[in-house]
Amino acid sequence: MTRTNHPLARLIIYIALALFTVYNVFPFAWTIMNSVKLPKDANARIPRFVFTPTGENYSELWLNMRPDAFAPYGLALILIFCALAVICLSANRIPAPNSAVYIGCIFAGVIVALALPEVVNTAEFYDYLINSVIVTVGTLCVSLSIGALAGYGLARYRHVVSVYILVIALAFRSLPSLALVLPFYYLGQLSGLYDTHILLIFCLVAVNQPFTIWMLRSFFMEIPREIEEAAMIDGAGRLKSFISVIVPIMWPGIITTGLFTLLLAYNDFLLARILTQINWTLPVGIAQFTGGEDPGHVTLAAAGSVSVTLPILVVIIFFQKYLIRGLASGAVKG
Amino acid sequence: MNRGTFSLFVGPSVFIMLALMTLPLLASVVLGLHFITFRNLDEPLWIGFKNYQEVLADPEFWDSLEFTLLFIAIAVPARIVLGLLFALLLDQITRFRGVFIAAALVPFVMTPVVGTLIFRDMFDRGGPYWYWMQQLFDYRLFMNSTTVPLLIIFHSIWTATPFAMIVLFAGLQTLPQESLEAARVDGATWLRQLWHVAMPHLRSLFIFIGLISIMDSYRVFDSVFVLTQQNPIYDAETIMYYNFQVALSFGRLGKANAMSVLTVLGIFVVLIPFLVMTYREQTEEA
Repeated sequence: MTRTNHPLARLIIYIALALFTVYNVFPFAWTIMNSVKLPKDANARIPRFVFTPTGENYSELWLNMRPDAFAPYGLALILIFCALAVICLSANRIPAPNSAVYIGCIFAGVIVALALPEVVNTAEFYDYLINSVIVTVGTLCVSLSIGALAGYGLARYRHVVSVYILVIALAFRSLPSLALVLPFYYLGQLSGLYDTHILLIFCLVAVNQPFTIWMLRSFFMEIPREIEEAAMIDGAGRLKSFISVIVPIMWPGIITTGLFTLLLAYNDFLLARILTQINWTLPVGIAQFTGGEDPGHVTLAAAGSVSVTLPILVVIIFFQKYLIRGLASGAVKG
Repeated sequence: MNRGTFSLFVGPSVFIMLALMTLPLLASVVLGLHFITFRNLDEPLWIGFKNYQEVLADPEFWDSLEFTLLFIAIAVPARIVLGLLFALLLDQITRFRGVFIAAALVPFVMTPVVGTLIFRDMFDRGGPYWYWMQQLFDYRLFMNSTTVPLLIIFHSIWTATPFAMIVLFAGLQTLPQESLEAARVDGATWLRQLWHVAMPHLRSLFIFIGLISIMDSYRVFDSVFVLTQQNPIYDAETIMYYNFQVALSFGRLGKANAMSVLTVLGIFVVLIPFLVMTYREQTEEA
């Protein structure tokens, strides 16, 4: 639309957006500050913006005892982990196939993550992180693979059955999760899968599937039929042409859908709370900080909040351009 | 694509949905017809529609429904209007756009439990917002049955507006350029371009956001759980929260299931206009 060139109007626009940004970010910024405060600074009667920072809260949260002689090794492992992430992000510049780089990095990352608790005496919070990663990655893989198949099928099979499936899926999407957790709980007890990652993953997949297939379907609708028809004339079957021709084109759409799945799986509280007993995920772990009168509670809760939020925030902001592009390409018309 | 291939493609997804979502739904319906608590889990007592009668006669159920509807009536339009406003502002600029969008993603992406904790601490005694309100406006915020419901609604606007903004901003990037060009040639002002070109184009996005928002607002749970600190005096129970209490605090599993079934029916009633609109769009396209 027409842009205004009036300097005053532009100034007001920037000021409004800046205020909006402060309103969005300030609570989290304040929490980051609290997480590096001593309890006496955090509990001051007047909010303090100037203080001596401390790493105490993070070490109390992540470690069972004060950092000891092994701490340097732990730090080294964390640095290796960061290096792996950097290698993954710059995979395009490395003279090796991208997939080889990713698989190598993931493999090395898993080893580092498993080695860390052996070297440093990590607290339960680290186990919650591992649980969260397993559940989130598992949900992403299952949900996107079966969702992509279904979305493609629904986009290509123009028949009343497709409409039925979509409407039923929408009906499932509108079920309150509390209507599901009690039956899921029974199901877990009956099958003996209660408190396992598998149960939680499949329940999250089921809850998220309606949104996934609606969204992926509208992405697949945008692809002209001729593309896979050409592949099929060359002798490739439906499934083969789907995997080798359609999926590579659809990466931005799949990433956009994946980001929403990621949010849902990582942030889920209610399902994880009811379907786990010991194998808590991060949101369930952090909820134990909701009460308590202990003065150290505020800073510890802040460190926990930052620890839970930072991983997902980094991932989402990194993929931000896919999010906008994906939404703009018409994924949400349905 | 023929029917066989179609079933192969759709099969796994439909199987998981039906296996995990239909059975629990049926279980809710059946359990809703029994008197069942944690003590008689093995031998539930058939009582027919007594649970439903009890729920419908329960003033607390109606209170929670009233608050849920109030919540939807305020939060959903507020999200859409604010989201549109800031999407339009973002559309006016190019510099720092990425920064503004990344910042807006923070409250949306944050784990709800964490976001609510942080939000509560801002307004709690001694928190920055509490302190500034006292300093600037000489207003001392107390947590009571007026402020807590307002905070719950404000919290939902804080977390969900960025989503509306990003979707609408993405929509504004795909406006039909020819119509905009024609409007410009005709000398249409920005306001007229907005009304005659942008709004019709964004219509389906408004429906999309409205649909998602209503469904999510109906299921608000985390923020109530944290902001009320499970204290009933604040009079801010949503349907989901009251349902949770009936199940886990009072142990009345049968009654809770009956409430779940009623909630599902309630959501459908609210969604009817949206479902009809979506269906029409589907058939128009096909």
